[in-house]
Amino acid sequence: MAQNSDVHLQHISQQFNTELRDLRNHVLVMGGLVEKQVSDATLSLVNADSELAQLVRQTEDDIDKLEVTIDEECTRVIAKRQPTASDLRLVMGVAKMVSDLERIGDEAEKIAKIGIRLTEEGQAPRGYVEVRHISNHVGQMVHDALDAFTRFDLDLALRVMKEDKAVDTEYKSAMRSLVTFMMEDPRNITGILNIIWVLRSLERIGDHSRNICEHVIYMVKGKDVRHASLEKAEQIIEDKR
Amino acid sequence: MNDSMTQAKAEQENKARTHGIDISAIERSAEDISIDEETVALQVNNLKLYYGEKEALHGIDMQIPQKRVTAFIGPSGCGKSTLLRCFNRMNDLVDGCRIDGRIMLEDQNIYEKGVDVAELRRRVGMVFQKPNPFPKSIYENVAYGLRIQGINKKRVIDETVEWALKSAALWDEVKDRLNDSALGLSGGQQQRLVIARTVAVKPEVLLLDEPASALDPLSTLKIEELIHELKDEYTIVIVTHNMQQAARVSDYTAFMYMGDLIEFGSTNQLFTNPVCKQTEDYITGRYG
Repeated sequence: MAQNSDVHLQHISQQFNTELRDLRNHVLVMGGLVEKQVSDATLSLVNADSELAQLVRQTEDDIDKLEVTIDEECTRVIAKRQPTASDLRLVMGVAKMVSDLERIGDEAEKIAKIGIRLTEEGQAPRGYVEVRHISNHVGQMVHDALDAFTRFDLDLALRVMKEDKAVDTEYKSAMRSLVTFMMEDPRNITGILNIIWVLRSLERIGDHSRNICEHVIYMVKGKDVRHASLEKAEQIIEDKR
Repeated sequence: MNDSMTQAKAEQENKARTHGIDISAIERSAEDISIDEETVALQVNNLKLYYGEKEALHGIDMQIPQKRVTAFIGPSGCGKSTLLRCFNRMNDLVDGCRIDGRIMLEDQNIYEKGVDVAELRRRVGMVFQKPNPFPKSIYENVAYGLRIQGINKKRVIDETVEWALKSAALWDEVKDRLNDSALGLSGGQQQRLVIARTVAVKPEVLLLDEPASALDPLSTLKIEELIHELKDEYTIVIVTHNMQQAARVSDYTAFMYMGDLIEFGSTNQLFTNPVCKQTEDYITGRYG
């Protein structure tokens, strides 16, 4: 269910509308960049493309800057406008969302770094199937989480939170097969350890996407669903539609 | 006995879990107060108020909790000041004003026949938007209420004046010039003097109608600080146009619109996640 995402643009003060619209747009720009980073990082790894990996590492700086800028904007809005109710929740939610986005960026950078290392060492691509699979999955989660934010779509937010469980399961099963590879041939260990780091990063990206969705639910419903079960979150979303 | 033992045990377990660091205070401070657990100071039942033919309040039901600050917010003409003035029958002075329903102060309906209105206004004191000290000395302003009550002992009056001025956080500023005219005080000081005058007759409820709207920001903060201190002793009801002020000083907030009480709840809840859309639109400054 998409809520009316224009709710933040109906203030008597046009300036306030502009500030909140800018805030949301900037988060979306940052989100788009982060989303691209995740897919580029995995691509650079599985295609052994060091150039692309370097690009990911450079773009990380831009993301860091955006985080700081958006944080400042939040502080300014609070100081100048003393937002209340849904406006306040938007600002607080955004302030938390950007730190999750920034962390997703960090994880993408880690993947790119490992990609560069693996390319230099020229190792056999063991475990790349798992990486590609989970990467597609969490990439979609990041995309959907941002979509949920754009449209205040709580159903989508809930779906992403459920996907996070699926990713956790995939991560565990990938771990098992990688451990088997290592036992088969100890010469694989170094390379596979790197792949395990990559998988770990991807799994964390899934977690951060889930966090973003929790913030979206807070912005819309005013209920904190962090550390709550999925059933509880579902119930909150169903409440008083 | 058994209860306290299990409680002690639970506390001990909690402590063990958190390495002896007590986190319960933090948890308690985050808890929202529930209006149902409060003692009621004023109970309003189906209160309707008419100015001539026009119905200005459409059947208000609410409970003002004791020794808490309750704020009324809402756009101009929504009836918040009218409702406030009902609490000490100030509306009796308005021509053509008629009231249905009841307001219970303790066990008495203040609109019953035979209620001593002067005594009611002692119990339910009021401070207005513009400070209105009498053109007398600072001392006489505060002593005035006592004198009309027939208290004449100088010692009693001296003590009460000092106590009231201290309660209103004004004593230190005026103690050396108690016999100067009250009109020589600044607006903020005058407003605190008026509060001292109200407090001097030991009311139970303090009604504040926009008490800080004519004051500068620092005097406003002083008044707000004073409200916070006074709520230990008095039930306070404040009408304000300044929403941030309501958010800062009150425990409970009532949002009124066109003579109806739209939403009434804890201030924390109302300002972070209001239930009604009308409330949300008003406090966030949207087109209603």
